[in-house]
Amino acid sequence: MAPSRGPQALARTLHKTLSNHRGPVHVVRYAKGTAKYVLSGGQDRTIRLWNPDLGTEIKKFEAHGYEVLSISVSHDNTKFASSGGDRSVFVWDVTAGVTTRRLAGHMGKVNVVELNADATVLASGSYDSTVRLWDLRAPARAPIQILEEARDAVQTLHVDATTIIAGSVDGHVRTYDLRKGELRSDFVGQPVTSAVPSSDGTTLLVSTLDSHVRLFDTTSGKLLNAFTGHNHTSYRCRACFGHAEATVVCGDEDGAVWAWDLVDATVLQPNPPPKVHDKVITWTEHHPIDPGEMVTCSADGTVKVWRHSS
Amino acid sequence: MSTARLKRKLGDLGIDTSSRKANENFCLIGTPLPPLEKSKDTGEFVPLWKQEVRDEKGRRRLHGAFTGGFSAGYFNTVGSKEGWTPSTFISSRSDRATNKNRPSRPEDFMDEEDLTGMRDDQKLVDEHEQMELLGGTQDEMSKRGEGADDKDAITLALERSLLPAPKDSVGARILKKMGWRIGQGIGPRITWRQREMAFGRDPDVPSDDVDEEAKKHVYAPRDTPLIIVERKGNFHGLGYDPGLGLHASLGVAPEASKQSSDPRLAGGFGLGALNDADDDDLDVYDHSQTHGRNRHAYDANDVHDEERVLMSSRSQGARDSGKVAQPQRPSTGQVTFRDGRQPLNGFVISEKPVAEDLRFPIPDVPKDWTPNPKLVWEREKANSKDKENAAIPPPSQTQSHAQWKTGISANQRGAVLGETPLPSAPRSIFEYISKKDQERIKNIAASRFGPPSTSDDPLPGPSLPTPPTITHTEPHIAQAALHGFQPFTTDPSKQARYTAYLHAHADPGSGAIPPAQKSGQSPEEFAKEISDYAKSAALFRPVSGAMAGRFTSAAVLDLGSKIIEGLHTPAAQPEEGADSMDVTEEKPKEEVKEEVPKVHAARLGMYGVLTREVCTWQPARLLCKRFGVKDPDLEVPVDTSGPSAQAAAPEFKGTEPADEFAGASAGAAQVEGGSSGSSKRDVANIGMGEDDGQGDGVLTYERPGMDIFKAIFASDDEESDEEKDRMDDVDEMDEPPAVSAPAVPSKPGPDVKPPPANGIVEDVDLATFKPTFIPRGSKPKDAEKKEKKNKKQKSSKGGALVSFEVDEDGGESLSLTAARQKPRDRDSERPRKKKRKDREGNGGEDMWVEKPPPDIVKALPVINLSPDEGGQVSGQESGPPRARKRAIDFM
Repeated sequence: MAPSRGPQALARTLHKTLSNHRGPVHVVRYAKGTAKYVLSGGQDRTIRLWNPDLGTEIKKFEAHGYEVLSISVSHDNTKFASSGGDRSVFVWDVTAGVTTRRLAGHMGKVNVVELNADATVLASGSYDSTVRLWDLRAPARAPIQILEEARDAVQTLHVDATTIIAGSVDGHVRTYDLRKGELRSDFVGQPVTSAVPSSDGTTLLVSTLDSHVRLFDTTSGKLLNAFTGHNHTSYRCRACFGHAEATVVCGDEDGAVWAWDLVDATVLQPNPPPKVHDKVITWTEHHPIDPGEMVTCSADGTVKVWRHSS
Repeated sequence: MSTARLKRKLGDLGIDTSSRKANENFCLIGTPLPPLEKSKDTGEFVPLWKQEVRDEKGRRRLHGAFTGGFSAGYFNTVGSKEGWTPSTFISSRSDRATNKNRPSRPEDFMDEEDLTGMRDDQKLVDEHEQMELLGGTQDEMSKRGEGADDKDAITLALERSLLPAPKDSVGARILKKMGWRIGQGIGPRITWRQREMAFGRDPDVPSDDVDEEAKKHVYAPRDTPLIIVERKGNFHGLGYDPGLGLHASLGVAPEASKQSSDPRLAGGFGLGALNDADDDDLDVYDHSQTHGRNRHAYDANDVHDEERVLMSSRSQGARDSGKVAQPQRPSTGQVTFRDGRQPLNGFVISEKPVAEDLRFPIPDVPKDWTPNPKLVWEREKANSKDKENAAIPPPSQTQSHAQWKTGISANQRGAVLGETPLPSAPRSIFEYISKKDQERIKNIAASRFGPPSTSDDPLPGPSLPTPPTITHTEPHIAQAALHGFQPFTTDPSKQARYTAYLHAHADPGSGAIPPAQKSGQSPEEFAKEISDYAKSAALFRPVSGAMAGRFTSAAVLDLGSKIIEGLHTPAAQPEEGADSMDVTEEKPKEEVKEEVPKVHAARLGMYGVLTREVCTWQPARLLCKRFGVKDPDLEVPVDTSGPSAQAAAPEFKGTEPADEFAGASAGAAQVEGGSSGSSKRDVANIGMGEDDGQGDGVLTYERPGMDIFKAIFASDDEESDEEKDRMDDVDEMDEPPAVSAPAVPSKPGPDVKPPPANGIVEDVDLATFKPTFIPRGSKPKDAEKKEKKNKKQKSSKGGALVSFEVDEDGGESLSLTAARQKPRDRDSERPRKKKRKDREGNGGEDMWVEKPPPDIVKALPVINLSPDEGGQVSGQESGPPRARKRAIDFM
């Protein structure tokens, strides 16, 4: 079924709809490893663990007092972190279904939370325009470090082996390089809603509120490609790489999932894509391993699992 | 005491005790002896009971008055030594009223200060008292004046004489002493005849009531009437009558016919017989001519004025005529209001109706008339053009009050007459610049500050009615206020005028006309309006500078299209439009100017160098650790002078020590920065609130060197040695009776104690040795032992480096000893210890009473130890000392 040329087509056939959430779903994340499970968090203050293959809800995590805005799963799938409107970050034990740690300190709602590779450090970005780095190994309550460079709410974070990438509404993507001990702030000019680096760390996919998804070269900060056509002006939407990083996928505010060729920035067929969600697609995530699976969640309260039609 | 003795001693030795040398102080520590001679130090401490209160003359005050006793006030003031002794009454014929027994006066009890105070108070005339000159106070005079109308002079005089003088002034008192009485005139007494003449009567005319006896006496002169000037308690102008009506006060005389035919002439200089009464001769202050014009229903002034006239002339005739001239009032009973009601008692209904405002009928509007404002505007425009052309407004034009008041200026008049204007001092620096340069500057200014104004019309200043107090707004303020808060949004017409005002002031050269005076608006109102605009312009201009960025203006509530009240004038519209266009043209330009390069680059999509900012960032050390990343050892970028100075230091080492020092310090700072691991460690803010690394050095726990542990815990080895020895002993003693094994180990239980801590360290390198605090056993025995040992060490010269005890009863002791001679010490010590132990044991100074061992144990040692006794002692001689004696030792 592999096409003769060009990147592989996006999985566009609806496999399952996970619709137990009441109210908008803000985030959906694949588990680590083989990524057989999906975690989603929404406005109904719950986090739900799903089996996307079967479309069944496995577990419901309830402790948040406000909406859940972000989830990050640890490398070993034993715990995950979540954050939301209640200004603290919760660390959960997956099997027990209880919070093992509640990290309070942010002054505003915590938009994004991210664990590092071995789940020893947790980074949380908040509406209070700070990024706090918490130590999960020691019982200390205070954060290790507070990154206060952002001038507006931090909307997206990415933590890899040596860098912390924070995207903020002030239009900057800030890359904190631990090894070099330097901070590279790239000005995008528009509020940044997501920043996803490629697996080799040389490029960075940034989606902004001017209906653009831009691909930057991380070393020089130069623009490699800009992907347009979708509608993204006021909500936090996430753009991600497709399989093998050959494509760029982004759900827009009209409920359509857009896909572009990474290299020539052309919109993959169908163009324009059909509307698959009733409301804004808040999160798009491609399966880390499986080339033919993708998951989206939307403000219409559903999480949809997409696969190839085969 | 000791000082006195010392003084005597020194005096015996022939030393001048008062000399400076003798009093020199060499005391460095402790309290010096008091100086030999009494110091004049007034600040010297004196105990409370020795303190004295003295006045400024050095006399003692408060003689025990506060300590109790009868001596209060004796010395300086009053009384006897015993105090307030009552004086006995003495009656003596020979010694009458002498100074001795005269009654005491207050002065007797006063001291100098009191007396001077009293003398100051005794003044001839008390200026605080209200001065009364013959007639008493003003109030009384007025009182008297009121009653004067129905009293004649005699009753008045009687009353005056009968009534007690309210308060005599000094002059009155003197006069009274000289024989003067109230109501009399001042001067020598006069005869009856003189008096009669003075009263205006003819003395020669005989009258019945004059008896002959009266003529024989002399009389006091006639009292001169006092001219009482009415006090002016108001702020009215001279000649102003508060009761006057509008027309009367304006000086318009609509009812001139009512005026009496003969004008009242001003007093003073008389008119010649041939002269006619002129306008100038009329008494302007005469109120009577206005009486007739009063339209009050009841005029209070009416009666009052007549009475005033009556009062002012006190002559008989005048009084009589005054009585006759009482106004004939119509009886109030007959006249009623139109509705039949009667007026209030004492009020008169005016015959003339109250004047009504003049009203004019509205002109009839022609039937075929249609409003055409354009015509009016054109006419207005033409007018304004005329105004511009003609320097003087035509006299036929309606003038405002302000215009009329200002009149024509000299310049205007000169222009009309065709005079060449006088050369006046140049007012501006531009007048010194040549024409060409002026033009050039104008062009530059025009090109810079917006489109050149095509209409080069002059300022509308002279032609337009200038309000008396026009407030000026600076152009920049007006410009700012245009963009700021609009305060009059509720009143669109006012808002329009406000913006027009701002436009006019923001760009004075643009020809924007400031809001003119509205029809039907008084100049004062207009001036107030303009000043309001100026105030609000100053108030509501947007915040400038750094503050501006912090605020965003709230969303403007859109109330639909703005309704402009009043007549629609299309002439103003294009101008405003043009202005707003200017503003919109200028605004984006400014924004572009303000735009940061990176924003510009981002807008153009030129991401890269322009949009990227790289700066150093110091990750927390723990973060690096958690990420498994080596801590980026950042150079200290703040200390720029440091490395350079350091680099330069070796070159100038010999010549410039200052540089060297700087280098060294910089190096030190760098080292410090490196060690603390913070890149931003600035020397300036160390210890301040911003110092992120504050307390890092303090709180960081560093594992001390191994030597420390050795130093502290090395005694354990000894202890263990000792213990081992002791155990050996025990073994020696206890091994044979294996049976008692379970019982015996419980016995030496108390022996297992913290190490005896005698501070002896074995195998310690001197170079790495560090003194340590070692807790000593609290037992006096141990302390003694220690002391003894220390003594021993002291005696053995060069043995211990330092050894001192902090306290003797077993607190802590710091002992620094060297390992070298320790074995010797110990060797020499042991026998002593042993001996002492034995002695103590013999003396029975044991600390504890040990439970007698079980019988079986008791029995066994007897068997085993007795033959071993001597050997044991000798064995102990060579072996290490035992920590403490055991029960066995005492047996």
